[in-house]
Formats: sequence, structure tokens, C-alpha cells
Amino acid sequence: MIFRRRVRPSRGRGFDIRLAPEERALLATLPLQLVSLLDEVGDKTHDEVPDALRRLVPIAYATDPEAESAFVAMTREDLLEHHRDSLETMSRTAKATWLDEDQLASWMAALNDLRLFLGSMLGATEEETEPPGAHSRPSEWIAYLYLSGLQSELIDLLEGTLPDPVPGADDLVPEDLWGDPPGGLRWDGTPQPEDL
Amino acid sequence: MQSPPGLEADVSGMPTSSVAPSEVERPETHEIAVPELPWLVIVWNDPINLMTYVTYVFQKLFGYSRPKAHKLMLDVHYKGRAVVSSGAKERAELDVARLHQHGLWATMEHSG
Repeated sequence: MIFRRRVRPSRGRGFDIRLAPEERALLATLPLQLVSLLDEVGDKTHDEVPDALRRLVPIAYATDPEAESAFVAMTREDLLEHHRDSLETMSRTAKATWLDEDQLASWMAALNDLRLFLGSMLGATEEETEPPGAHSRPSEWIAYLYLSGLQSELIDLLEGTLPDPVPGADDLVPEDLWGDPPGGLRWDGTPQPEDL
Repeated sequence: MQSPPGLEADVSGMPTSSVAPSEVERPETHEIAVPELPWLVIVWNDPINLMTYVTYVFQKLFGYSRPKAHKLMLDVHYKGRAVVSSGAKERAELDVARLHQHGLWATMEHSG
């Protein structure tokens, strides 16, 4: 079977979208469900936010509650608006056969938001192929796998549209402060692969 | 040990001169501009974001080359975290906010 790309560069500009009706139905409805849940977040602290939504509002200052509070006051509204805007754009354009660059960028953001939400709900972990919730929440698990596949396709596509690297930008990254983990182990204590 | 009266102690043992060389220029103020220690923006490993997505975001937000972005992503994945940018506080906060908008788990720390 030949793999058929669902999103392709269009002649001229923009992108052609070829999806089955079932896929479009999912992309129209799922984002709006997450939008309605975002209303619960408001300006709550990271710990006060329901588990499945926490990854959408990460902490900036892990050890300084006062600075974190100021950061939330400064950025939370914009962050939630960014989530909402991306999700609503995807829902609104789910039936479109052509998207411009900005709309496809919104799809990418919305796919990632949905995966963060569903992955958290399913209890996704680093090591296990199937998260704990795969059997108890089969619909969410299938949606998660589907969205992962579509997002992978968009990443491959959009990586090719990035502008050239900024000259000298690589050199501005500070040296790795922590060096290699001791004993050739990775962060969670498992052996580090040799093919790095 | 006490110095003999009328003579100043000279810890170096070398003769001293009380006359400053006229050609030495002295700064007019005593204020020294100490550069603020940079803040570090750190991205942490997480089990949900796709590795290819993290590489893509580093290129998009910071203009890094693909090999550099890929190396940073591998550091995040295998070492658990990586410093992805640094700078003044306001710049670091902006970078963290942009990484949060892209769903990455980013924090900032003062390098001091």
C-alpha cells in the first residue's frame, strides 16, 4: 500500500488537505471540547489546575512561587488565548480542502494541545507503548494515536518550510551545565544508548 | 611587628612612592557596570511531546540549525533537561512564554 500524504504543499501557496469525513468530524468536535475545559483554568496556579490540563499551563519558576505568580499574571491570559485561538481555528477549518500557512500553524498547535491533554488523561509515560488508560479509555487512546500520526506528518512538512538558520545562533547556546549523566545512565536511570 | 616611627609599612618590602604617576588616568567615577548574570531557559523531558516536534520548535523559535536543535532535543530526552537559551530576565521570560505556547515544559533559573 502506498502511503498517501494527507497534507501537501499546494501549487502556488498554502496546503492541500485530504482527509476522510470521519477524520474531519473528529477535528471539528474534539478541539471545542478542550476549549470548554480551558475555562476552568483561569488564573489558577499550576497545582490547582485539573491534572489533564496542567501540561497546557506549565510552570516557569519552579522554586520561586512569588516570581511564578507574577509570571502567571503577565502571561496566562495570552497563553490561554493562544490555545483557544488554535483550537477554534482547527475546528472552524476542519472541513477545508485548502489552508494557508497561518491556519496550518494553528492546526499544528491545536494537535499538540490535544495530544498534551489526551496524553495526560491517559497517563502516558516515557517507557510504555500503551499508557495505563489505553484500555479504560479506548476512544481517547485511538484519538491520541490518530492525532500523533497527523502531527508527525505536519512536522515533516513544516520543517521543510522553516527559514534558514540564524547565523551564529547555535553558538549562543550555553554549554551543557550538567554534562553526561554518571555511569552512562539517562535521566530515569536506564542505560543511555550508544548511538547518540 | 611595629614599624619604626615615621615610616609607613610596606607589605611588599619594596620601596614605595607617595607620588602618583601623572600619566595614569583614573576613572572619573567609582561605578563599575557589572553585567547581570544571565538567566537560563531549561526545557525538561516529558513523555508526550514528539521528539521530532521538539526539534522543530527549537529551530522555529531560536533559529538553530537542524543538527543543533536535534542535539538539544536528544539532551532533553536522554539527560532529562537542556539549556536552550540564556539572557537577561525579560528575554528569558519571553522565551519561556513562547515555549509554553508551543507546549514544551520550560522553566528558567538564574545562572548565579
